[in-house]
Amino acid sequence: MTQLIQNLVDSLGLGGTYALLALGISLIFGVMHLVNFAHGELITVGAYTAYFLFSTVGGSWWWMPVAIIASCVLASVLTERIAFRWVRTANPFTMLLTSFALERLSHALWQIGVSPKAKAFPKVSWAFDTYQFGDVRIEKMDLVTIFVTALALVVTALVFKRTLFGIAVRGAAEDFDAARLMGVKANRVILGAFAYAGLLAGVAAVLILMRTPSAKPDMGSAWLLAAVIAAVIGGMGSFTGAVAGGVALGMLQTFLQSYLPEGTLSYLNDAFVFGVIAVFFVIRPQGLFDVTHAERV
Amino acid sequence: MLELADVTTRYGAVTALDAVSIHVDEGELVALVGPNGAGKTTLLNTVAGLLTPATGTISFSGERINGTEPATLVRRGLALVPEHRRIFKDLTVEENLKLAGVTVARRLRRERVDEVGSLFAVLRAKWNTNAGFLSGGEAQQLAVARALMCNPKLLLLDEPTLGLAPTLVDAIFELLVTLRSQGRTVLVVEQNAHRALEIADRGYVLRSGRLVAEGLGSDLAGDPQLFEAFLGGGL
Amino acid sequence: MNRSVTLRIGRSLATSAALLAVIGVLAVIYTSTGGASRHSLVDEMLVNLMLVAGMQIFVGNTGVLSFGHLAFAQIAGYSAAIAALPLASKAKVLPGLPFGLGDVHLGALGAVIAAVVVALVVGAVVGVVVARAHGLAPTMITLAVLVVVEQVVKNWKELTRGAGGLSGVPVVHGSGWLYVAAFVALLVACLFHESRIGRFAVATREDELAAPALGIRLFSARYSAWVVSIAVVGLGGAMLVLSLGSVNPKQFTLDRSILVIAMLVLGGMRTVTGAAVGTVLITAGNELFRQLGDRWKIERFSDLFLGGVLLAVMLLRPGGLLGDRDLLGYLRRRFRAPDRPAPPVPERSAALVAADIVVNFGGFRALDDAGIRVRPGEVVGLIGPNGAGKTTLFNVVTGLVDETSGSVHLGDQDLSDAMPYQVARAGLARTFQNLRLFKNLTVRENVELTSLVAWRHRTGSLPVNELLADAGLTAVADRAAGTLDYGNQRRLELARAAALSPAYLLLDEPTSGMSDAESQAMVEQVRAVAAKVGAGVLVIDHDLGFITRISDHMVVLAEGRILAEGTPAEVRANPAVAEAYLGSQA
Repeated sequence: MTQLIQNLVDSLGLGGTYALLALGISLIFGVMHLVNFAHGELITVGAYTAYFLFSTVGGSWWWMPVAIIASCVLASVLTERIAFRWVRTANPFTMLLTSFALERLSHALWQIGVSPKAKAFPKVSWAFDTYQFGDVRIEKMDLVTIFVTALALVVTALVFKRTLFGIAVRGAAEDFDAARLMGVKANRVILGAFAYAGLLAGVAAVLILMRTPSAKPDMGSAWLLAAVIAAVIGGMGSFTGAVAGGVALGMLQTFLQSYLPEGTLSYLNDAFVFGVIAVFFVIRPQGLFDVTHAERV
Repeated sequence: MLELADVTTRYGAVTALDAVSIHVDEGELVALVGPNGAGKTTLLNTVAGLLTPATGTISFSGERINGTEPATLVRRGLALVPEHRRIFKDLTVEENLKLAGVTVARRLRRERVDEVGSLFAVLRAKWNTNAGFLSGGEAQQLAVARALMCNPKLLLLDEPTLGLAPTLVDAIFELLVTLRSQGRTVLVVEQNAHRALEIADRGYVLRSGRLVAEGLGSDLAGDPQLFEAFLGGGL
Repeated sequence: MNRSVTLRIGRSLATSAALLAVIGVLAVIYTSTGGASRHSLVDEMLVNLMLVAGMQIFVGNTGVLSFGHLAFAQIAGYSAAIAALPLASKAKVLPGLPFGLGDVHLGALGAVIAAVVVALVVGAVVGVVVARAHGLAPTMITLAVLVVVEQVVKNWKELTRGAGGLSGVPVVHGSGWLYVAAFVALLVACLFHESRIGRFAVATREDELAAPALGIRLFSARYSAWVVSIAVVGLGGAMLVLSLGSVNPKQFTLDRSILVIAMLVLGGMRTVTGAAVGTVLITAGNELFRQLGDRWKIERFSDLFLGGVLLAVMLLRPGGLLGDRDLLGYLRRRFRAPDRPAPPVPERSAALVAADIVVNFGGFRALDDAGIRVRPGEVVGLIGPNGAGKTTLFNVVTGLVDETSGSVHLGDQDLSDAMPYQVARAGLARTFQNLRLFKNLTVRENVELTSLVAWRHRTGSLPVNELLADAGLTAVADRAAGTLDYGNQRRLELARAAALSPAYLLLDEPTSGMSDAESQAMVEQVRAVAAKVGAGVLVIDHDLGFITRISDHMVVLAEGRILAEGTPAEVRANPAVAEAYLGSQA
């Protein structure tokens, strides 16, 4: 029982972070049918922003999250303006490789501009203090993660449900031309989607960096892979699906780690997760929440 | 109000619209009829800014609007109800209207949604239902309501009765008459050529991308040659 | 051996030899002016060339992006290393080697063959999944495969010694063997591109719907491409390990996958020439940037080059520098086998009958008890207002849409549940309302493709030259289909369907968008083509002049039901038909 609760807390924290990233990926896929493999780089941007601020002007974790989130929003918007805008009508293959090119460029820029090695910055002093509930020990950071993620998801749900921007994004995800006919400006809604995806990635970056305060050129890739998988499990373009996929992936990873027998198998955690995912695609290639529309012939 | 002069539109190698000239004057209800593939939808899409004409001039309220972004045209008062309605199925009725009010000033939007909503009793009853669950007739009314959100000077309708049951078809034709009596200018593409021409002030017949007949609506509707003009060629 | 096969092999040999010769000359010039590091760069390039050629076979021909090919290079690499390690050092570094592999020792050639076989066995299983998936799924599956294999290699220490890798594998010295292997890789890629199944794979890349409608089975085309490409990539992986004498997981990362993909797309992934050119350019550019980085003391400067080049290609020339310009394609146009003699026009007796067809789309009944019958050699016109269900009826007959109830028969053959490719092979060839040509292929290749299907799966292929001449397309035969004007595209689609030697041609609006003069000419062309292949015709059109002139019998569909049928004159005189078109005179 104790173990179960512990695992649940861990998996909610991890899965929540995946959900924030997957939601951004799904959002961008919704409005322009791009699987953005450069999305994970936003975390890297956030990390180096924190590193620079700490090492130049000094900084405090009281306001650092704002700076990190702002840098992520800015970076996300920039990728749209300099690259994705020009391949908007291209085939998925071209768009996918464009995002990969940006991912490569980001890695290269940090490696060349800063250093291939990890750069650490001050940690949050209280992050790993623990609370004891009976036999269950919970880190403060776990609670912060779960709380912030939940808050971000609730706010996102409200934005999508209540604001004109949210409704426009949902409408554009379903039928872009019809949204244009209503007076929605294509550039604006896509840029808005990138900005919002950047915001969510920024929140995820803050949570990640509070745990592991260091910046490394390729740190975004592992998160990206998990987030893309989560978005695809949920069904690309489905916002509910992205959240469900993120949490499901977090649980799968945490529980496999915990319950697989000792020995070789436990090292194969990632292999198992991806194996399960490959099988999932075979059984249900359209994801949990199907958003595909039939093509007219 | 709207004038097309020698407008040609191409999709790649295909000439879908071949030097077509038509005009719609203020307060008129004009019907555009013709067989499948005649270029009717292409014409409306070209006017609404979804397509850019290769040659020719489109002017709206005296201004040249070739290749203007649809969002800009909506703000100037030109709205299209597209073929197959294209309502947002994953949004509720209210959200569909809100989205269509994107061009309305923020403080007036709420009011405008209620105003347009009150014109359509059936929609009012399904206010918070996802539009995907509406029947064909309800969906068509929503599509028209959506276009009215921006209070358009000129309303373009593409096949508003397609796939509707006969009683609903009647309702849509009544709606067209009502719109005109409210002083709106309407250009409608309709498969139900006879009825559309009967209620229209004027009509145009398009075939294979060219204009083959034009005249007063009632004259065209009663013309025994209409069927021939429609389908082209003799035996 | 027949002439066309000889020519295919000849063209492939010539192309791969020419490409490799150019690369070899460049390499000799380059290495003769510098030290040993230049030789290892050339070796690395040759290995990459094998990987790129392997990727081209699948990604280039099918248009499905894969990140997972390096996983099979890795499997092959480790297999080669384990097979080639001397027994003594194997006992030392891998004491717990399973499956009795501790007692196996092979020479270099044996190790390469074993490695390719192992990669093939695993690849054959994974390929079943990849080839069956649609849209984004296959790409995602390959990504998952890459990660799974990497993790297994890192963690199955008894077999692989973990992340540190294996060293001490006997090295195959000299670039000579690498040249031989690279030649084999290029040759296989060329041969596959030239082969029937390779052409089919290309067709599925160009249009995922039109290819099955012409008798090409998506799964087998993709699966074959996958298996062959895995074999070549496996060869690359094995040669990589044998040329370096060591193997570790760092050689097969996602980074390298992207390097290989960049090489593939820079020159143009659709052709082997493009793949080879891209490999050389990326290798040279990388090296240039590395040296600049050394001079300016910038670490990993070359990564900037790779990202920049990939981005520039995608934004500016997504088809690659060369696009479809290709040595192999040039030779194909230059040296062509003469057409096979036309088979005699078969006597056909099977009628095409669709009966009691009901189709529901959600709550909407698109077809309501509709049926149609076409007799051999007969031309039946299908008309009706917008939304009547005409195209849906076509889609039901050709297997694209599943009917809710009803049946489709061709003679005694039940096609009710047949897949589109089965319907086409049974003898129904269709065209599409919105034209689905293979746009990047030449006019001739479009027709040749269906002719190949006919040759393999039907009674015999029709002479391509004759079909092109009949359609008036001889002058433009070597142009890309997408560059033709509209009338010619319509005529090409008809010729392409006719090349199947079908029992029935199903034409969906063959004159839409044509001028009156052009549609009159179309009457003659359709009749001539139908007579030539002995086919009956079912045709949808809106031009009553055209349809009355061409049809023996006409059927009117309205709101999913058969409203009227009869001779053209009878149908035109029927007031219900006018009403269906123009609406009631209320």
